[in-house]
Amino acid sequence: MRIKIIKAAVLILALVFVSRLSVFPQDQKTIVIDPGHGGLEVGAKGKFGNLEKNITLPISLKLKSIIERKLAYRVVLTRDRDVDVSLERRSAIANNNKAFVFISIHANGYPGRNAHGSETYFLNLNATDEEARRLAYVENNSTELSQVAGEHQDDIMMILWDMAQAAYLKQSSQLAELIQHELNTLLRTRNRGVKQAPFKILTGVACPAVLVEVAFISNPDEERKLLTENFQNDVAEAIYAGLAKYLERNLDR
Amino acid sequence: MDTKRLVPLVALFLLLIVLVVLFFTGGKEKRLAPDTSVAVSESGEGVIEERPTKTIVLYFLSDNDYRLHPEEREIFTDIPEVDQVKQTLEELLNGSLNDGLSPLPEETRLREIFFTPSGVVYVDFSRELYLNHMSGSAAEIATVFAIVNPLVRNFESIQRVFILVEGTERETLNGHIDLTRPLLPRFDLIVGGLLKNFPELP
Repeated sequence: MRIKIIKAAVLILALVFVSRLSVFPQDQKTIVIDPGHGGLEVGAKGKFGNLEKNITLPISLKLKSIIERKLAYRVVLTRDRDVDVSLERRSAIANNNKAFVFISIHANGYPGRNAHGSETYFLNLNATDEEARRLAYVENNSTELSQVAGEHQDDIMMILWDMAQAAYLKQSSQLAELIQHELNTLLRTRNRGVKQAPFKILTGVACPAVLVEVAFISNPDEERKLLTENFQNDVAEAIYAGLAKYLERNLDR
Repeated sequence: MDTKRLVPLVALFLLLIVLVVLFFTGGKEKRLAPDTSVAVSESGEGVIEERPTKTIVLYFLSDNDYRLHPEEREIFTDIPEVDQVKQTLEELLNGSLNDGLSPLPEETRLREIFFTPSGVVYVDFSRELYLNHMSGSAAEIATVFAIVNPLVRNFESIQRVFILVEGTERETLNGHIDLTRPLLPRFDLIVGGLLKNFPELP
């Protein structure tokens, strides 16, 4: 009897193990989280001397562990310690890992004393309507885009990669909306809304991509908050909640 | 030394003096950007003549919002357009007259302006544009479009602005806004302007 139970247990464990090995990893999608700045590139500075790069990393690590705990997604960070990573390298990490979603974490800065609150950005192509339409058409219809990789890209493919985000603006705006909504609900930060700007980090990312400015490090009150575990956890939870809603709505993709 | 050899030498010396005098006094071209707003009329009767000017709009920042706040200035129009653009950016660097916050970092200098026939103007700033910049997305957006918006707004021949630093292309100021392409203006950032959060997506 005892041996039978052990045998059954071993069998179940083996099945779970095999299913995880063979089925799961093939389907498992990757979320890429990008802790903004790092190394010599310190980002914005607070009045008390705190640096943006040292805020974005712990929030990203917290977000990673929440996603891994609650969802069956693989999470890749563009950096996991205080190092310089070029903007191109960051989008390459997303594309090489075939990211399903890309989230860049930042802390904001502004000359105005009263600047405060969270905001979520997605890419603005900074193009005329006609150019934007053409670019989106080319990106949406370039099936080769996902097949060409590594060092054998010709000039045209380089251009396509360079503006890969043009094909994902609708999903990116949906993701931005959902994350911003959660930030507004969960945090007592003023709603600064979803915005668009021509961010270098987002242009080459070939998947839905957003940049979250969690709070203003240039505002002394928010700088203090940004340093606390509680606030960092709340922010990570809010971003997670928005992401989870997005994933729910886009499961069939 | 005999007089035969002295004559050509004296003649040469006199010619040199004439040339020097002509060099400093001659020339029909107007001087670029004279530093007063009034000039003596060409009739020489001592009548004071106003130089032609036009009103341009610059943008500064506020403590109370994240928008670009317009301020008007007068610039001279009797000088080449490239110098009018320089005047415009110099006025921007000089700062607000109404307690507005400067969108450009302290000590930033304008180095050069280059026009292209395609409507793209290259504006080259000193390295303080990023070294003294406070960083942060909101601040970078404000800086970049406080440079781009007035040039497109005030000069018909300019459609896009390419920002250079120390004569070369820079990827971003401090990690945010893409400076590797010539930029279109963002008039939706101006106070009172329609904030286009969600333009029609293709």
